[in-house]
Amino acid sequence: MIMPRGQQLLLPVNAFFMWGSLFLALLWHMLPVGRIAWMPDLMAVVLVFWSIHQPHRVGMGVAFFMGLLVDVQQSAMLGQHALAYTLLSFMALVIHRRLVWYSVFSQAVQILPMFAIAHALELLARLIAGGVFPGYDIALAPVLEAALWPLVSAVLLAPQRRAPDRDAHRPL
Amino acid sequence: MPYGSLDRTPPPFFKQGPTSLSKLLLLSALALFLMVADNRFEVGKIVRISLATVLNPFAKAVAAPVIAIQDSFKYVDTISAIKIYEQETHKKMLLQSQRANQVEVLTLENTRLRKLLSLKETLSTPAQAAEVLYDAIDPYSRKVIINKGSLHAVQLGSPVLDELGVLGQVVRVFPLISEVTMIIDREQTTPVLNTRTGVRSVAYGNSSAHGDSLELRFISGNADVLAGDVLTTSGVDGVYPAGLQVAKIEKVDRRADSGFAKIVCTPKANVLGAKHVLILAPLMTIETPRPSEVAAMPTNKRGSKK
Repeated sequence: MIMPRGQQLLLPVNAFFMWGSLFLALLWHMLPVGRIAWMPDLMAVVLVFWSIHQPHRVGMGVAFFMGLLVDVQQSAMLGQHALAYTLLSFMALVIHRRLVWYSVFSQAVQILPMFAIAHALELLARLIAGGVFPGYDIALAPVLEAALWPLVSAVLLAPQRRAPDRDAHRPL
Repeated sequence: MPYGSLDRTPPPFFKQGPTSLSKLLLLSALALFLMVADNRFEVGKIVRISLATVLNPFAKAVAAPVIAIQDSFKYVDTISAIKIYEQETHKKMLLQSQRANQVEVLTLENTRLRKLLSLKETLSTPAQAAEVLYDAIDPYSRKVIINKGSLHAVQLGSPVLDELGVLGQVVRVFPLISEVTMIIDREQTTPVLNTRTGVRSVAYGNSSAHGDSLELRFISGNADVLAGDVLTTSGVDGVYPAGLQVAKIEKVDRRADSGFAKIVCTPKANVLGAKHVLILAPLMTIETPRPSEVAAMPTNKRGSKK
């Protein structure tokens, strides 16, 4: 496999960990914090992460279904998040081979427009359907999601970065 | 090197499935269909209720600690604030008790007068109390979730009140919870009556990022509407019983360039923080006594003569 120089060879992903992280992101969306327009969409970040790192396991189908669950949970219009997440996952699939060659912070800058497009699509769909404009704070949401990217990638890649064999003299 | 240290399932070379673009188009089309189907077709309701029923236990488990923390903050409210609140409530109760004492007499008088005029008796509606669990997270609408559902016989379209006035209407019923659209939601309209003039109109929800209010539309610029008028439900819609307080007119802007006045009202109910609410049964579903056969007699007689 062609890899950027100096990048660590990763362990295979644990399926339980992958699905568990998606489930935790869903739980995050269930927190009854009220109507906050700038709330970062953690599910979008986690879906984009797995679409980039495991495109054969998490793709548009999973993104669509997770979107439906979020729609139902937030009592939003059915299909609103499903559409946004499907598009996000598609864009992630398109750039996934290129993106992993960059540093994590550079990745964050490059996926910022993707989150902005997804939020714009949601906003457009809701305004056409006669929703209330949630305020300009909503422009902050994609920025916060991109800011979460380094953290999310560090946490979600941590189990794959462990040493392949246990060693008493080496941590992790 | 241990066996599990490398991913030994190679990506499929030949069985690629449909292309990503065709998948995107298919799933987007499905999402758009669901948006349309959401409130118009039965299938949207089925999808929503089945998914919500699966998610409900998890949502409850997640919400419990958050609600507990919010409640604990309220618990450490300073004692002085509570004392002031208690005094205010006491004053309010004194004022109310005076009016409440008159209710018995007035009801009696009202029934007698109605009998005298042979008008239909006013209905008393069955009600049940519920608690607001949380605001719906969706920032594009103004909804709250309450803790009673179809298992508690909550009906679709039921009016919901808090102690100050009409809060909204039940728009979706799940087995254990229901969604209430508040009167300030853009999609919500409430038939109202101006108590000073007796003119009926419709109050439209007018929430925005800046504030939540209601609006009376298509009232002519020279109509008799003043700031401070109280709007109550008119009772002609078959949903809300008559006489429930809805809103107070805050500002009447009679503009020269348009034939209509711009009328802004503030909701009476506590739309930002209602906790305990009352769900009434929609008026249409309450069995009304059929008109007696004696009343129908004269028309029969006339018919038989012909």
